[in-house]
Amino acid sequence: MISTVPGNYPKVANRPGGQKLRRAIASFDRGRISAEELASAADDVTVEVISEQERAGIDMITDGQIRWQDPVTYIAGNLAGFDIGGLIRYFDTNTFYRQPEATERVEWQKPILVRDYEFARDNAAGLVKPVVTGPYTIAKLSLPGVYADLKSLVLDTARALNQEMKALAATDAPLIQVDEPAIVWHRYKDDWGIFREAMDVLMDGVGATTLLRTDFGDAVGLPDFFALPFQGFGLDMVHGKQNAALVPDIPDDRDLMLGIIDARNVRMESEDAVLETAQWVTQHVSEDRLAISPNTGLEFLPRETAYGKLENMVRAVKKAQEAVA
Amino acid sequence: MEGLWTTQVGSLPKPRALAKARTDYARGRLPHEELAALERKYTEFWVDFQNELGLDIVVDSEMYRGDMATFFAETMEGMEISGLVRSYGNRYYRKPIAVGPLKRVKSFTLDWWQFAQSLTDKPVKGMITGPYTMAEWSYNDFYDSQEEFVLAMAEVLHEEVVDLEKAGAQFIQVDEPAVSTRPEDLPLAIRAMAVVVDGIQATTGTHICYGDFESIYPKMLDIPVDVIDLEMANSDYDLLDLFNSRAPFTKKLAMGVVDVHSHVIESKEEVKAGIYKGLQVVPADRLYIDPDCGLKTRTVDEAQAKLSVIVDAVGEVRQELGLDNA
Repeated sequence: MISTVPGNYPKVANRPGGQKLRRAIASFDRGRISAEELASAADDVTVEVISEQERAGIDMITDGQIRWQDPVTYIAGNLAGFDIGGLIRYFDTNTFYRQPEATERVEWQKPILVRDYEFARDNAAGLVKPVVTGPYTIAKLSLPGVYADLKSLVLDTARALNQEMKALAATDAPLIQVDEPAIVWHRYKDDWGIFREAMDVLMDGVGATTLLRTDFGDAVGLPDFFALPFQGFGLDMVHGKQNAALVPDIPDDRDLMLGIIDARNVRMESEDAVLETAQWVTQHVSEDRLAISPNTGLEFLPRETAYGKLENMVRAVKKAQEAVA
Repeated sequence: MEGLWTTQVGSLPKPRALAKARTDYARGRLPHEELAALERKYTEFWVDFQNELGLDIVVDSEMYRGDMATFFAETMEGMEISGLVRSYGNRYYRKPIAVGPLKRVKSFTLDWWQFAQSLTDKPVKGMITGPYTMAEWSYNDFYDSQEEFVLAMAEVLHEEVVDLEKAGAQFIQVDEPAVSTRPEDLPLAIRAMAVVVDGIQATTGTHICYGDFESIYPKMLDIPVDVIDLEMANSDYDLLDLFNSRAPFTKKLAMGVVDVHSHVIESKEEVKAGIYKGLQVVPADRLYIDPDCGLKTRTVDEAQAKLSVIVDAVGEVRQELGLDNA
């Protein structure tokens, strides 16, 4: 059993000097610093949040997605074909993303996340995983523009990101995580057929260990969810309480990333509750196939609370490890 | 017949001197009295402007508020304010946290309402953020459930509404912009609103921001207020189609006819066309005309220009329809 995180980590801290990146972006917007200086500030903060996650004791971290403005545009904006438009609410959260629109055929041009992964790996003591927002979520949260229907946009985006997956597979990343929150959003489940086809396209010829992570809902009503072409699956147990019913169905040879820490509220989970869930899940999933995690990215929390929640989670995971050992 | 009253959703832009004073005050460089003096000065500026323009229902302009949730949370027992959280791009805010039983220790807005009302003979609208939105835009580190949190918030806000009515407010608006983001919570928002407006005789209203109306219409007509205030201009009035095709809009409608997110000032003809679209669905005696949302993100000049075009357009439509507002 390991501890891990979904993806993003708060970019600013509430201590003197904690707003380095925010200031750098503001200076860049006013033309006072160059793109290189901004990138270097983002690198500095990336190093900072890598060491923070490791200090909290997380076994497999991410780069904190410090360069990402939101879960959609960092990927979409680096593919050919998408223009980035106006602000729109991200699911039912109080955060917003800029909505891409497919104004031309969507195509992969160059690796998007390889450099970010290698930079994070070089600055981390332990394991780092790259995270790709999946083609269905990107297409569904975008405007179809020149595409006649959602399906053709999803499949072209999947073809483009298949190249990205292959580029990441060529690195030494221990795991590539694909985030697809949109497919478990309660109103989008009718797209299951399109989604399945897209995942086959996305994963075609990708020789790597991969995990499909979802949040903001449950995978109930998506037939054969665990038959999708991934080694592991990530489930949100806070906003997708019904996911508990699916856990016993996971095949023995698949991994599970269980999002049990509420990353959208500041209230600290009791260690006992985390421990109890961990013990329950080990009845269904072998301990060496299990990762415990917050349910969503940590940017919905102030930085200090996010860190406190991770420390708390790691303590509980250690206890659970002892209990099941 | 009377009808087509002009009003506003709530906030107006803070002039640069006030924005600077707020920053200076936050950094401890300016005493509170000096900030408060500027807040009064610009409240007066905006009330005078609305008065001279001839708006039918005036707002206090919210010169004294920062964020619409944090302002109330700061003044309430049981709430604290968090560290910085990102909302999008490079924009951050501080989010309220429920840490104990909620209690109103003093009025949130009454002083400002009274001050604004003392400056005009037009009715000044009482304006608060609704309980569902307050809870939805906060963390909960105290109540066992979100429902408990929302209903406790409703009790606190009810006291404020009672005070506003006692002071003479004829219109009281309880904003629930968050209601359209999670349709399954609408029944809770309705129950909470019933607590807030319990026993109130004044005309009550709520502003809901653009969102998933497909999922909450016509159920949202059960929110126990007289007026529902909706953005229309920035979605090209597509909600009116929903009212036409699914179920008639049975309440009074406050209809946004200028886009608050655009620098472009709408033409009088554009606004008139919007008003006539509204009139096809809701009769003049149930229709209020206003901007889509609070104008605080526009410049002072833009806000004034957008309000002026509303008043001009409504004036012409009233004349064309022979409406005679007392």
